[in-house]
Amino acid sequence: MADTPSFAANRRPRVKNPVLRRYLTAFRTARGIAGSVILLVLVALALLAPVLYPGGYDVQSAESLRGPSLAHPFGTDQLGRDLLTRSLFGLRIDLTIVAVAVPLGMVVGTTLGLIGALSRVAGTVLQRVLDVIIGFPGIVLGMCIILIMGPGWSALVIAITVSSLPTFGRLSRAAMLSQAQREYVMAARTLGVSRVTIITRHILPNAIDPILVAGAVFVVHAIFIEAGLSIIGLGIQPPEPSLGSLLNQGMRYITQAPTYVLGPTVVLFLLALSFSLISDSLNKAVNRA
Amino acid sequence: MIRYLLGRIPSILLVIFLASIVAFILPRLAPGDPAVVMAGPDPTPEQVEAVREAAGFNRPLIEQYLSWVLGLFRGDLGVSFILNRPIGELILSRVESTLQLAGLAAVFMILLGFALGILGGSRLRRGSRLALDMFNTAMLATPPFLVALVLILVFGIWLRILPVSGEVGLSENFGLGLQYLLLPAAALALTQAAVVGRLLQTSMLTTRGEEFIDLAVAKGASPARVTFRHVLPASLDAAIVSIGLRIGELLSGAIIIEAIFARNGLGQLAVQAVNNRDYFLIQTLVIGAVVIAVLSQLISEVVMASLDPRIRLES
Repeated sequence: MADTPSFAANRRPRVKNPVLRRYLTAFRTARGIAGSVILLVLVALALLAPVLYPGGYDVQSAESLRGPSLAHPFGTDQLGRDLLTRSLFGLRIDLTIVAVAVPLGMVVGTTLGLIGALSRVAGTVLQRVLDVIIGFPGIVLGMCIILIMGPGWSALVIAITVSSLPTFGRLSRAAMLSQAQREYVMAARTLGVSRVTIITRHILPNAIDPILVAGAVFVVHAIFIEAGLSIIGLGIQPPEPSLGSLLNQGMRYITQAPTYVLGPTVVLFLLALSFSLISDSLNKAVNRA
Repeated sequence: MIRYLLGRIPSILLVIFLASIVAFILPRLAPGDPAVVMAGPDPTPEQVEAVREAAGFNRPLIEQYLSWVLGLFRGDLGVSFILNRPIGELILSRVESTLQLAGLAAVFMILLGFALGILGGSRLRRGSRLALDMFNTAMLATPPFLVALVLILVFGIWLRILPVSGEVGLSENFGLGLQYLLLPAAALALTQAAVVGRLLQTSMLTTRGEEFIDLAVAKGASPARVTFRHVLPASLDAAIVSIGLRIGELLSGAIIIEAIFARNGLGQLAVQAVNNRDYFLIQTLVIGAVVIAVLSQLISEVVMASLDPRIRLES
């Protein structure tokens, strides 16, 4: 059974695509495995939440602010609602926010970066716009966006997407500018390949590694942006739960029921931990190749 | 040095100018009529019209923008129509609380960041290196609000040695005020200290590989003298720039920390302003935050330039 390196090297690779195979090696390391297992369990729980708790997240009872017990492993909240149920539904919302906002930010940011690398003027304009976004410290930008859109799911998504633009825009522009000097690009240009084709077919696949790693890193930021905005009461509004808004509620009862915040905190921590483990091992796999 | 500063000024002014336009336009993009919001509950059309007139919403946008910005230059921050008080007065009444929080957090951040960095940048045994790395990694991955929750649960609920909610001004009662300040400032500082520490550690370890360090060791300088006299000064630049960048993060982190510890600072004022749609207050607070973040970055660049002649010469 021992899967020694020499055997692994002789074996015909199951995944042919070399790029995909490189990413898959990330999930063979201890960190990669731990991260993806935690994430898979969390995603499965989030998906199963409506099946496990067909009543939904708003079933109230007379047992309010109880500590953990067999019936309620995370305890109950001020309206006697089961906190495990609410944490899992909150996790669901957090996952949907991240799953929409981060890929959106990656696509828009990368596209902006590529456009910025195409022409000098566009590059300068882009640089200034990103400078302004960076000028807004931390969650101030998110607060401005929530002001326009009103608190809720879509405002959180836009807030996360906009704050991710500098990361992806700068990375893709830098990668693009450095790749543009390479011989294969010159060869393609000499052969008369159009600029758009050179960018999408030749440069982008060679520049995508740092962008993907940054994407995994940014997921952790995104989770914390959601939580931060929800803690100050500008995120998902009650009765709907998110991990951050559960903390917001729990803070108010922290002296009466200190265990209130524990459950949501643990789920939040595991979610952030899984993505930072995955981004770590992805980073190592990409840099080794 | 002065030429270096002059070279940085246009791009900084541009960022502040663009940010001021964003801060001015954003509240006005929000749905609903600001005059109706400002006129209070159940206003008559005449009241709304009067508010519109007083706030200047019937004038062209450019005129409104100019009168706001020119007012800022004169030190006139405008009036909050929701709270019915001059914005300058509102900010003054809250600024002490936030300054105390951010100030103590900055002190914690710098002290702890340098301690972590110097420790990590020294020669360590494997066990201590591992423990330090684990502490650092955990701190880097933990946002201030999670640190705050843990600190509250441990020191406020379990050990019951520090208060977790409310505040007392340092000027009123220094000892008691400090007790209320310790947990929030620590929560705010720990994550940022880990960032500073990690940067300092990396550049100190790089510096240790340079030849002039070998020379210092060869001439018989003690390990402490090598670290503090030779390695540390040559490794400061990254850490100092990061301190400048972290000041902006401290301020925005203060918004969340103030909410958690029920402190009545500028962050709470900003949250209140967003909830009330208090247009004038929001635009002034936002541009203030941007200006402070940009300026603290500039100051750290200046400090770095004065430490490192290479940067001055390049510009």
